[in-house]
Amino acid sequence: MLSFILRRLGQSSVLVLIMSVLVFAGMYVVSDPVAVLAGDDFTEEDRQALARELGVDKPLITQYLVFLSNIAKGDFGVSFVYNRPVLDLILERLPATLEVAVLAISMGLILGIPMGIYSGLNREKKATKSISFLTTVGYSIPNFWQALLLILLCSVWLKILPASGRGDTTDLFGIPVSFLNWDGFSHMLLPAVNLAIYKICMQTRLSRSGTQEVMYQDYMTFARAKGISKMRRIRRHLLRNILLPIVTITGLELGGLIAFSTVTETVFSWPGIGKLLLDSIHHADRPVVVAYLIGITLMFVTINFVVDVLYALLDPRIRYK
Amino acid sequence: MTQSETKSVDQTAGPQSLMKVSDLTIAYPMEEGEIFRALKKLSIDIAPGQIVGIVGESGAGKSTIGKASLGLLDDNAIIETGSVTLDGAVISGLLEEGYDAIRGKKIGYIYQNPMTALNPVLTIGEQLIEAIEANTEKRGDDARDYAISLLEKAEVPYAEDRLSKYPHQLSGGLCQRIVFAIAISAKPDLIIADEPTTALDVTVQKAVLETLRSLAKQDNIAIILITHDMSVVANMCDYVYVLRYGELVEHGPTRQILTEPKEDYSRELMASIPRIDHYVERFAVPGLGNVKDRTRALAYLMEHKTDQTIPKGEPLLKVRNISKTFVSEAGIFTSASPFKALDDVSFDVYSGETLGIVGESGSGKSTIGRIILGLHESDPGHEILYKGRNIAELTSRKDRLAHCMSLQCIFQDPYSSLNPRMSAGNNITYALQSNGLLSGSAARELAGDLLELVGLSRSDASKMPHAFSGGERQRIGIARALSFRPDFIFCDEPTSALDVTVQAELLNLLKDLQDELGLTMLFVSHDLAVVRQMCDRVLVMKSGKVMEAGPCAEVLTTPKDDYTKSLLDAMPRIVFE
Repeated sequence: MLSFILRRLGQSSVLVLIMSVLVFAGMYVVSDPVAVLAGDDFTEEDRQALARELGVDKPLITQYLVFLSNIAKGDFGVSFVYNRPVLDLILERLPATLEVAVLAISMGLILGIPMGIYSGLNREKKATKSISFLTTVGYSIPNFWQALLLILLCSVWLKILPASGRGDTTDLFGIPVSFLNWDGFSHMLLPAVNLAIYKICMQTRLSRSGTQEVMYQDYMTFARAKGISKMRRIRRHLLRNILLPIVTITGLELGGLIAFSTVTETVFSWPGIGKLLLDSIHHADRPVVVAYLIGITLMFVTINFVVDVLYALLDPRIRYK
Repeated sequence: MTQSETKSVDQTAGPQSLMKVSDLTIAYPMEEGEIFRALKKLSIDIAPGQIVGIVGESGAGKSTIGKASLGLLDDNAIIETGSVTLDGAVISGLLEEGYDAIRGKKIGYIYQNPMTALNPVLTIGEQLIEAIEANTEKRGDDARDYAISLLEKAEVPYAEDRLSKYPHQLSGGLCQRIVFAIAISAKPDLIIADEPTTALDVTVQKAVLETLRSLAKQDNIAIILITHDMSVVANMCDYVYVLRYGELVEHGPTRQILTEPKEDYSRELMASIPRIDHYVERFAVPGLGNVKDRTRALAYLMEHKTDQTIPKGEPLLKVRNISKTFVSEAGIFTSASPFKALDDVSFDVYSGETLGIVGESGSGKSTIGRIILGLHESDPGHEILYKGRNIAELTSRKDRLAHCMSLQCIFQDPYSSLNPRMSAGNNITYALQSNGLLSGSAARELAGDLLELVGLSRSDASKMPHAFSGGERQRIGIARALSFRPDFIFCDEPTSALDVTVQAELLNLLKDLQDELGLTMLFVSHDLAVVRQMCDRVLVMKSGKVMEAGPCAEVLTTPKDDYTKSLLDAMPRIVFE
């Protein structure tokens, strides 16, 4: 296990390094912060002074090395636009995104897996057909359109849930979070449900196909023959075996939600990290974009690592190879 | 027949009977309103503590009896007539809850393949203890202690350590012992064992069965032993029922059925079993149907006999020092580990003889054939001479093609060795046609001739492979090998996937063809008795090495090597003291 962890750490650092080069070079090619930030009345000297101030007058390789050495000191740079440390900006926005993403993923797992197992086990029942219909609908309606429908239903007609903003926050270990008080939580619900609908459909389908495969395995029949109750057969024998693909997909989806739920955050004016990225790209705020993308890379690497460890815990055959 | 049947049931049922299957018919609705009956009016009687064998070939409905007793039939199965009773109470066709008091508690079940019956992601301990907790009063530490004592009873070494292991970390034999422990955990009255040793290596079968019998004796548990293997029945059972197509053919005490079967089918079944102690020219089974005209096929096959050019006393195939090392890939922290599948093997095969290769799985026996056929490359330092020429020196396309055609193969699995999207006829002749050696009409002619030669009919050429049974497919495989007019055929366990009567027919066919065509064969098998019937000489292999070699009659009756002795000892036999 230890050698596995060490090996993954090694691979991950190489990956993050490559990613940082790509992002850094990419941003250099596509945008010129001086051009965006300089006013119309700037003289050539003013421009050079601005470039010096931002540190973009040096060759790219030097800029990159400075950037790396700063990171080593824990300094991710200062936003060109907000003139504040990038890390502060990101950490300010991240909790909002995280709590919605986690809520959406949990809804997907808690509703999707039981529905999937149920419809896998009872193929002929009416409820199965309804589930199958609903998942197809959930898959097909575009995300932003679902968001608008949710606002129309819950905020405009029924007036039970707020449609935008973050609401009150409570401090948890110094970090402002919404889910600990009702006002904040009610603000979270619509964006979370909007993100969750697709996840629920996906988890339902994944667990249904897994169930249909596993339920005909010899060990399921044998468990029945040896007198194990149906609940236990499902909880221990079936669930453990269908979890593998679910864990993989959930890990990737969680990463995707945190990094790229920009549409939902925009529709519900949720002050999350997706909006920060959009604005920064627009303003050529290079330090924010670079730090953000490297952070996302780190997050994907971490999630995948956790998924692999979970995999090994769930399936002993992988563990001992 | 019906009269004598009823009479003997009355005799053997005895005063008390544990389980009674009476008049049981199980039907499955098929497409287009047809009905398939897996069991037809079947009656069986089991006394407490009795070991009853149910034998028959695939499709005989053996497993359906066990499934009906435990409520494990498929959802679409219909019990048309009859019932199963246990201690006088009906246990067939109950609702799911009705089986709570039966499964695991009154009837234990043993599955054919222990590796698939145990859940791969749960520990042995969990799977055993959950059965104990479901079916007995024991909980927690009590259940754990009881689990260890059960494993010890089932002769699992290091019982306590095994609790934390997973199925894939243990051998098939050990897994089956763990399944035994699960089955006896609640001291049931009856165990249904469905082919309990079929998936195990020959060397462990005997010991595993011995354990099962002693476990049953200790707690006076009756066993229904479902099997196709007569030697298992001979060693285990008090009483035998012979089934065919879901119907009872004959039943009686084991010795009577095995030594003096009354019905034709039982006789045929007994005659099909290859014996190691007794060589027969041909198995006494019905022939290959009406063969109309074999002369044309034989004339075609004899036209190009090329192996006659070999000088007398020289082998047709000379294999010297072949080794094969498979290397696993290196990881970042793990170095590549070599595995020696073959270690310095040499032998000769003479024209017209059959050389057998026996050994357990993993002994390298199939690898030899693959190297000779050129499917694997041998490690350097070897030499393979065929018809006096080193096959490494065959470089021209013409020479290589001639070599390939002269050496052919019959594969183990008749289901995957035919192309499912080609008709039987095309399967036989496509290679010849694609090499431009045969025109379309000649190919049809040849396919028809060869099909008749192997006992099928000309019109079968246009059918697709799925329309044939396993034995028929294997005959198509033989016809395909023959189409090249080979001198040498490598038979890789050609009958191990087949029922025993089908095996007997096929072995007869191979012998006939060899007599008529003077074929040379390399015959790989794990079944010593089959090798005894088929081969002139034999190599005994273990872990890639030749342990013993010599004439079949000698090696398999008076073995010199300890390993050969242990193989022969472990072999199931039909012997009555």
